Parts: sequence; C-alpha cells; structure tokens
Amino acid sequence: MKIFNSIQTSNSGPICQKCAYFQNDPVLIEQVYRGLTAMSSGFASVRDQDGFCNYHQLYLSARDSCPRFALRGQ
Amino acid sequence: MAGINQPSGWQKFWSKEDWWAVWLGLGIIILAYVFYLAGSSISWIAVAPAKWSTFSQLGAQFSTNAIRYFALLGACLILFTVVISFIGQRPKAFIPSFIFVFILSTVIYAAGNWDQASRYNLEPPLVALVLGLIISNVIGLPRWLDAGFRVELYIKLGIVLLGATLPFTLIIWAGPVAILQASIVSIVTFLVIFFTARKLGLDNRLAAVLGAGGAVCGVSASIAVAGAVRARKEDPPIAISLVVFWAIILIFALPLVSRTLHLPTGVGGAWIGTSEFADAAGLAAAQSYGGLAGKGLGISGTADQALASYTLIKVIGRDIWIGIWAFVLALIAVTVWERSEANSKVHVGQIWGRFPKFVIGFLVASVLTTVIVHGNTLADYNKLVKPSLIAPITSLRTWAFTFSFLSIGLTTRFRELANAGIKPFVAFTAGVIVNVILGYILSVIVFGHYWSSVVTH
Repeated sequence: MKIFNSIQTSNSGPICQKCAYFQNDPVLIEQVYRGLTAMSSGFASVRDQDGFCNYHQLYLSARDSCPRFALRGQ
Repeated sequence: MAGINQPSGWQKFWSKEDWWAVWLGLGIIILAYVFYLAGSSISWIAVAPAKWSTFSQLGAQFSTNAIRYFALLGACLILFTVVISFIGQRPKAFIPSFIFVFILSTVIYAAGNWDQASRYNLEPPLVALVLGLIISNVIGLPRWLDAGFRVELYIKLGIVLLGATLPFTLIIWAGPVAILQASIVSIVTFLVIFFTARKLGLDNRLAAVLGAGGAVCGVSASIAVAGAVRARKEDPPIAISLVVFWAIILIFALPLVSRTLHLPTGVGGAWIGTSEFADAAGLAAAQSYGGLAGKGLGISGTADQALASYTLIKVIGRDIWIGIWAFVLALIAVTVWERSEANSKVHVGQIWGRFPKFVIGFLVASVLTTVIVHGNTLADYNKLVKPSLIAPITSLRTWAFTFSFLSIGLTTRFRELANAGIKPFVAFTAGVIVNVILGYILSVIVFGHYWSSVVTH
C-alpha cells in the first residue's frame, strides 16, 4: 500500500539534520517564534529536533529530506 | 554550525526540559521518602506561607521562617541553574530572573493564604497570571529577564510532583474514561477547526496546525504538528497567538462558569481538562477552581480533585497522544496533500520522539507513592504519611505551579503576538465553541459521576 511506502524507520541518508540550510537550535526557535514560551518551549520533547529550512522557508522535522540537500560544512 | 542542536545517545536525557522535570521531580520524591524512612521530613525546606489575617502575623511568619525561605530559594536556584546550564541556556541571566520570580511567587502565595482572599477572589493562580500580564504589558521588562520565565519546565516539574498525590489505582480506573472523553472532544474539535479553515480557503498545513492547537494540547501540539506536516515558517506564530489568546480567556471563564453552576471540583476540573489548551493554563484554571471548595460557595469536593481530574483528562487523555497525531497528520501530508514531492517519507520514530517524557515521571511518581502508602492504616496515613511525606511534596508542587502561572503572564506580550488574521481566528474560534460545549456535555452530564468521585492521596 502507498501509505506503507511513505513510512521510514531509519535515519540514514541526506536528512535535514545534516543539511546546511537547516537550523534547529531551541534558543533560536524561541527567539523567532515569539510567544512560544508563554505556553510551550523550544526545549520541549514534543518539538523533537524540528527546525527551520532556510531554503524552502519551512518548519519541519530534522528527519525530513529533499533534493536540495547540501551537506553542512561543505 | 550555529543554530544546530544534535544531541546524541545519552545527551537526549538532559537536553530536554521534559527529562529534567522527571529527574528533579522523582529526585524530590525519593529524597522525601528517604527522610520519611529516617523518621524525619523535607517539610523544613518545603516551607510555605500559612493562613494569616493581619500583616503583623504575616510579618512574624516570615521573620520566624526567613532562613527556610532562603534555603528553599537556594535549593531552587541550584537545581534550576543546573538544568539551565545543561540545556544550553544562560545561567547568568537565569539567576537574577529566577530570584525575581521567587520573590513575586512568595507574595502571591502569601496573598492566597490571607483569610479574606476568597472574599476578594484572590485565587493565587489568577493573581499570578494577572500580575504577570500587567508587569509585562503595562510596565515592561528587559528581554534578558525572560531567562527565568520557564513556564514549561516549572509546570512539568509540578505535574510530576502532582503524580505523587494521585493513587496509581485512580489512573488505572479513570484513565480509560479520560482517554475516551478526551478523544471524542479532540477528534471533533480538530475536524471542526480543520474543515472550517479549509472552507475559508486556508491551506491544509495551516488548518492542521490550528486544529492541533485547539484540539490536542495548545501551543505544544501546534509546534509539533507544524514540524510533522512541514508547515510554512510563518504558520506556527498564527496558531501560537490564537491559542494564547483563547487560553488566557478560558483561564478566567471556565472557573467562573463552573462556579456559577456549582460544579463539584472534580467535574469542573474535567471540563477544564477537555476545554483548556495548554497544561499550564489549564492547571491555573483547575487550581483556581479547586481553591473555591470548602469556602461556603456551594462547591463540593476538594482542591486536589480538581487537579486530579484535570490532569487525567489533559495529560493521559490528550498530551500523550501528540506523537500519534503528528505521525498520522504527517502521513496525510505526504500521501494526500503533497503527492508530487520527492523523497516524501515520514519517520515512525517521531511517535516516541515527540512523546511528552514528563508523563513518565508523573506515572512513576504515582506508582512510587502508591507502593509507599500501601499497607498503612488510614489512621497511620493521616497521622504520619500525609504530614511527613505527602504535604511537603504538595507544598513544593504549589511553588512550581506558582512559578509557572506567573511566568505565563510575564512572557505573554500581546504586542508581540502575531496578527492571526480573521480567517484563522474564525476557524479556531469555531473549534473553541464546539470544544467547550462538547466538553461540558461529557464532563458534566455523561461522565459527571466519575469525576465527582475521584480519590486522591
């Protein structure tokens, strides 16, 4: 089924967490999202390792990936 | 690289506030138990203002117990500064900020114990919130002081300590009812917000982020689902504004209506649990309502019953499912909303990754004290266990909650909240209305008999 093909269990490969366009520092998240700390936190478990994609201007999971991946540090 | 946070292995156990709430909370409970076994108690450091009627009485209390208050402040500073340092924040800013929070919290705690407090509706959670809102929005504070206003850290620690006052048998007994009730309201509310938003022309991802905020657990759910469905960067602030706005209104409205209807505290707490958004906001409302019991207002039950039923509905019924909500919505996002995107996969690990880990501490705390208390006669429990073990934990819990309620007000700067726009506001408000009405029907009419009979330690 298509839905099962959309599920992954491993973290290998070019994921956002390793991408140059990705930022997920909790302090940064709290600074950008004013009001977040009023009733949540950048350091909360629910946020997992989510962060900003500065290429696509999205807020997404560190486990995501896309064809625009650029290895950090290169 | 700047802006990257990648805890690995064991680091994950000290990089999130949730885990720190578990370590601190369980540490306090274990320490309390060790002292109890030795025939002593941590009540010396778990000092709190007692009832008073004149300023001279209050003054005498503080001068007699000054060293205890300084010891409590010192202990809090040491423990919280350790947490702040480990999670990568700034101790130099945190320390003076927390001293500010502690002093104000002491004033609020003392005000709540004035024997005329209920006559003037000086419920400590509401006083804390209003005082915080006035200070941050009217007087203004320098931004660096925010370092000590850690709403979530304090509330999660308080919830872990709250677990110590709830028998595990209660969680087993009421848990399924809480899950059933909360699930019905959450699913209906989410669908109302989502489809109203879609009807108004908002995109799927923003609709989902709004829906999660109104149906699951407020700002935390919004930010979790935003990451799961790959929301636009500007979407979360819209949900944050709406959740904060309505959450603050409901902090005052739900207890007020419950009081008018003379709902038993357990029932009022359940309604607040289904209808409030954030844990901290809901606990402020529940503690405020519970504080009205036994004050000759025709409200039956105890203060702890309001907290117990609230926590069961909100934490067990709603919070723990956030990972599943996020995973399911992420799957829908990649299979239905974003069919053309390459490499569109959803990681199943986010179900555990997003699980609010402080709930583990809450459950373990409940098991620990249930085992400790088991085997004691009621007479022994009331004479020994309650004053030496449970009461000081309850006192520290109240401190943690007060820190949190005050911090909500101090961090809510209305000028800085994003302009949500009329369409998100309408969609979200539709959900609020349905949520409150459906929550009332289930909490009061369908399951009222359950919630009015919850038993706490």
